[in-house]
Amino acid sequence: MAANADIFPHDHVSRLSLVGSVALHTALFALAIFNIIPSGRGENWGGTQGGGGAMSATLVSSIPLPNAQPEAQNVLANESKGLSQSPPKETPKEEPQAIPIPARDAKLKGQHETAIPKKEPPKQVAKAEPDNQVPFGQGGPVSGPYGSFTSGATKGGFGFQGGQGDFGSRYAYYVDIVRRKVSDNWLKYEVDPRISDARRVYVYFEINRSGQPTNVRVEQSSGIPSLDQSAVRALQRIDTFGPLPAGYSGNYVAVEFWFDYRR
Amino acid sequence: MKRLAAIILIAFLAIAAVGAPPQDWIRTGTGLGVEKIRIAVPDFKPAANDPDSKRLATTFSTTLWNDLQAAGIFDMVSASFYPLPAPGAPQDVKLAEWGSPPPNANMLAFGNAGVQSGAFAVQGWLFDVKNTQSPQVLGKQYRESATEDNARLIAHRFADEIIFRLGGGIQGIAESRIYFVSTRGGSKEIWQMDYDGANQKQLTHLGTIALSPHVSPDGSRIAYAGISTTEWQILMYSLELNRPVNFTRFAGTNLSPAWSSDAKTLAFSSSRSGDSEIYTVDISGGEVRRLTNTKGPDVSPTWNPKTNAQIAWVSGRTGLPQIYTMASDGTNVVRMTDQGYAVSPSWSPNGRFLALAWIRHYGPGEPGASDIYVMDVASKQWVQLTHDGGRNDFPSWSPDGRHIVFQSNRTGKTQIWSMLADGSQARQLTNAGDNSQPNWSFK
Repeated sequence: MAANADIFPHDHVSRLSLVGSVALHTALFALAIFNIIPSGRGENWGGTQGGGGAMSATLVSSIPLPNAQPEAQNVLANESKGLSQSPPKETPKEEPQAIPIPARDAKLKGQHETAIPKKEPPKQVAKAEPDNQVPFGQGGPVSGPYGSFTSGATKGGFGFQGGQGDFGSRYAYYVDIVRRKVSDNWLKYEVDPRISDARRVYVYFEINRSGQPTNVRVEQSSGIPSLDQSAVRALQRIDTFGPLPAGYSGNYVAVEFWFDYRR
Repeated sequence: MKRLAAIILIAFLAIAAVGAPPQDWIRTGTGLGVEKIRIAVPDFKPAANDPDSKRLATTFSTTLWNDLQAAGIFDMVSASFYPLPAPGAPQDVKLAEWGSPPPNANMLAFGNAGVQSGAFAVQGWLFDVKNTQSPQVLGKQYRESATEDNARLIAHRFADEIIFRLGGGIQGIAESRIYFVSTRGGSKEIWQMDYDGANQKQLTHLGTIALSPHVSPDGSRIAYAGISTTEWQILMYSLELNRPVNFTRFAGTNLSPAWSSDAKTLAFSSSRSGDSEIYTVDISGGEVRRLTNTKGPDVSPTWNPKTNAQIAWVSGRTGLPQIYTMASDGTNVVRMTDQGYAVSPSWSPNGRFLALAWIRHYGPGEPGASDIYVMDVASKQWVQLTHDGGRNDFPSWSPDGRHIVFQSNRTGKTQIWSMLADGSQARQLTNAGDNSQPNWSFK
């Protein structure tokens, strides 16, 4: 018997270590994949709203900053906030262009044919909708005395009362100025940053002949003081909307403005 | 086996390379929810066929177009989209043609212009195209003696009227002026020009150095700093008398005068105590009050024109110059800028913003450029308006708060530029000599 003191044969050792090495590397590999790749993009500076940490969205009142591209709302995707849903368009079914193959027992067919009543699919009865209802987002530009605006993640709207009730349609351009100016002057950073969603706040004010907003008051609170405040301040910040149209005979126009806040 | 180990090693190295510090993404944007009014401005129809009418009508139309384009609230519909022939009176207008694509205008300014018995007469209308029931927003008639200048003047007035109606009650700036320092006469003197760079002319003839012009709110006087005999003094120039007028002299070096918008008080910096500090003085020259009292220079005051209750200025009390604000009695000092080298504050007419020249990264090894910034006073949020364009300094707000005039050496020489207050539509106003330190009139 040779004096072989090797307890572990060499080749066995090397194979074991290689297997171990492969397993370890694979583990590292897996670790690397799961840890590193998802963080490849790094931090996002500035919010998704494009305001950025450095800059508020509606910084500028009279500075005409470039438009933000409004997001197109896909009504059919049913994020609809409206009550009525627009039905999807029906596409006419195409007739399969099949040529009938004469069967072996075509002659017999005429004799044995029995009319099997075809099951008709249940007819969809269209729900009668009131004809004055417009699906959300399909109303087109507002031409009446009521209007709305969006600014970033927020929405507002308003109604005018004045004259014979036709102020909005007769002086649409003036309504547009009011809408533009209020949305410019509403600073969202004044709202408590912890608020993400709030009830609608209604603000009432009057525009006198020279165009100054007066009698600004909260008609219906949102329940969040900072939001109510910011809405009132938006109007207090405005010196004038410009004189009321010359053809308008009243002394003032009453405006009801609402603000929806969503972060 | 060796090959497998090598492949794994290479794969691991590749993964390690991907895991290098990730690139940060910067996403930022401004101005949400502000849309412009699409306005179509066809050339005004010459009312008569003589060459004078045609020439003046062309001048008028060009000036009107430029004024509306520079206003910053309009999206000008390209003239190639206009239906023909151009309307000259309300009955010629086909609203449907203008209101639908390709012009797709919201507003239409049109009219006729011509020379009638030696006078240049203009009839102009503004129509709300989308409102078929009562489209007329504005109808105006003008009549001045038939000169090129008057054609420009009438165009400015009509443009201002349109801007006033559609811009939410803010007066247009077509008749405003810009005062600045120019070397083209040999020494630095005060000059003036129209807001669009036309009609440049020299005002002062000091013969030494005149700096930092600041026009009074009513446009009757200019306060500026000049070397009178041996010292820097606050000097006055009357635009009504077209000559220098007297103002109280102070000891030391006196610089950068600034009018309050009620025209009662002048703020300036003076080194009469040895260190330059901010003072205010009654416009009659009395009631001198010292507002700052710290070591380090305090210069370049500017009033909050909305309230006249606050002053912003530049102070070197912590080393590099920074912008501060205080109440007009010197209390309630607030530091506005947090770093770098910030100078030349100018307060916007609505009181909400400060325009300033700022080198945000200043010092050895910091590639800083002097750029124009606008800062929201209440929140201290700021936005950079100029980028990569030489050294920009001395911003000054237009009376409507929509434009900023400033000096820049982006073309090699220091010249006056104006831009919209969002940094767009920058245009050069001066060309000859070196021109600097612009100041926009109050109205």
